[in-house]
Amino acid sequence: MTTKTEVDTFSTRRSLTPLICINNAVVAYQNAVALANINLDVYEGEILGICGPNGSGKSTLLKAILGLVPLSHGTIRFYDKDQQELTCVEYRQDNNLGYVPQVHNIDRNFPALVEDVVAMGRYAQIGFLKRVKKSDPYIENALRLVGMWKFRKRPIGHLSGGQQQKVMIARSLANDPKIMLLDEPTAALDFRIERAIMDLIHQLHQNQNLTIILVTHRMSFLREYTTRVVCLDKSIIWKGEPSDPKLQTIINQLFFQ
Amino acid sequence: MNPFFMEITFNPNAFWKYLQYPFMQKALIAAILIGIICALIGTFVLLRGMVFLGEAIAHSAFAGAALAILLGLDPLLVIMLFSVISSISIGYVNEKKMMKDEIIIGVIFSFFMALAILFISLMPVYSTDVPSILFGNILIISPNTFNLLIFFSFLIIIVIFVIKKELYFMTFDEESAKVSGIPVRLLTYIFLVLVSMTISVSLKAIGAILVFAMIVTPAAAAYQLTFRFNRLLLLAGFFGVFSTVGGLYLSVAFDLPSGSTIVTLITFIFLISFIISPKRRLAHLAHLPTECPYCGEVIDEGSCEDPDCPQSDTPHSHVAHDDHRRGDVVIDKRKLPGKTPSTHEHKGP
Repeated sequence: MTTKTEVDTFSTRRSLTPLICINNAVVAYQNAVALANINLDVYEGEILGICGPNGSGKSTLLKAILGLVPLSHGTIRFYDKDQQELTCVEYRQDNNLGYVPQVHNIDRNFPALVEDVVAMGRYAQIGFLKRVKKSDPYIENALRLVGMWKFRKRPIGHLSGGQQQKVMIARSLANDPKIMLLDEPTAALDFRIERAIMDLIHQLHQNQNLTIILVTHRMSFLREYTTRVVCLDKSIIWKGEPSDPKLQTIINQLFFQ
Repeated sequence: MNPFFMEITFNPNAFWKYLQYPFMQKALIAAILIGIICALIGTFVLLRGMVFLGEAIAHSAFAGAALAILLGLDPLLVIMLFSVISSISIGYVNEKKMMKDEIIIGVIFSFFMALAILFISLMPVYSTDVPSILFGNILIISPNTFNLLIFFSFLIIIVIFVIKKELYFMTFDEESAKVSGIPVRLLTYIFLVLVSMTISVSLKAIGAILVFAMIVTPAAAAYQLTFRFNRLLLLAGFFGVFSTVGGLYLSVAFDLPSGSTIVTLITFIFLISFIISPKRRLAHLAHLPTECPYCGEVIDEGSCEDPDCPQSDTPHSHVAHDDHRRGDVVIDKRKLPGKTPSTHEHKGP
């Protein structure tokens, strides 16, 4: 759980209820350790930035939180609004987690319209055999939130990278999640689009009461958009506020030495 | 008449004449069912990029058939056992990421082919069933095989419709599907078993060499024509049934082998849909999507005609540069002289 110093350094504007507690988490693939000894709490309402060089375990940490890679040691616990302790699978079942993957190449001819892709976000919620209604309010709401409503009838493969990423964000919003995890959502996008996506994420955080975990290695985004930063290199090197001058030193150490 | 070729006669009424006999009725039912299940399964095989996995399963099925003939067992169940074993083992190696899938598919594919040849060489007398398994004959289906075909076809259709949307999500983005709570691992194995079953029940009609065409081609033909998933399934099913029934009709009318006639017909359908494909006509738009800085509309067809665009007070159109990558915004000066579009935001309702 939270130590005193950690609470002090964390922005006091936000509530201090932890939603996720990671305790001594270790992830090892065969013999190589991908993540060692991770202790981290994620609080309600924050934008937690995770940064680190390639291969530092950023994505692995995200996947461990999502339950996609098993822990070799340690625990990750989730807490619902009644402070009840849940495992990842239980937490996921309540559709509390929204996941936005990295921009990936979508086949131009893939048979899916934008609205179909957003509807996928609702599939687990509505269960087997049932269909997502055309007029599902969640889908419309999610598409409007990211400003892609008028593109709903377009094939997903025909959109630009930035627009596809907005659709992915809409898909993860379609379940009305509590926590949104984004794995380098702006990698492979040009600067203008990158900023538009980050502004969108910021806006969602403000308006939708979302807790956001964001993997990025762009220093400017960490400073502008996050409320707390964790620097990773297999284990946690540093955590603190983005305005802390130490962050630059740590980044320099991680990336340039 | 060329003495080196058999004379081909066209007897258009043969099909209808034979249709009163149970063997032809059975063949017709089998053709319809095979057309449907191959197309349904094939759509997912195509979208998941598992085309060669299916090929490997088809060859292992042939080894199963050879063993069944050697031991005098009912071929369908042995075929199914072999194809399920090969698909599950390939699926397992893929899941654990032990090696590239093309390596394991290559190994399994050739191993089962070798097994098949071994089994055939062990037969005391060369069985006439071997060419029928290799090339298929929908007109000779034993009652037992026919019953199993009906049972498995319905099973496959029902299961596919139960897990359809989950499979679709997994096909599009497996990781996100897992996060959203879909049992991806279980469904992957169920799907592999369904592919094996489909190939096994279709083997008798189309043959081990050609069965895979029935999986890939109807789905590939439908894929050319639509961006909608449900339409894709419907179209693929239609093409599948049209080619199996049409192929059956032609094979009877011309006295040709059923499997190859069916595959030739579906390949023609594929060629036609490839030529008329709207997707290819849209291909020139591939490098155009870019947003207008004024209205956020995608510049792909040259003009912004979105009725919701708040910039409608300033009529403007988009003109593509020579490199077709970025558009210039051109203000319609005749309608609004002297006015330039302002940067604006689209607001939700």
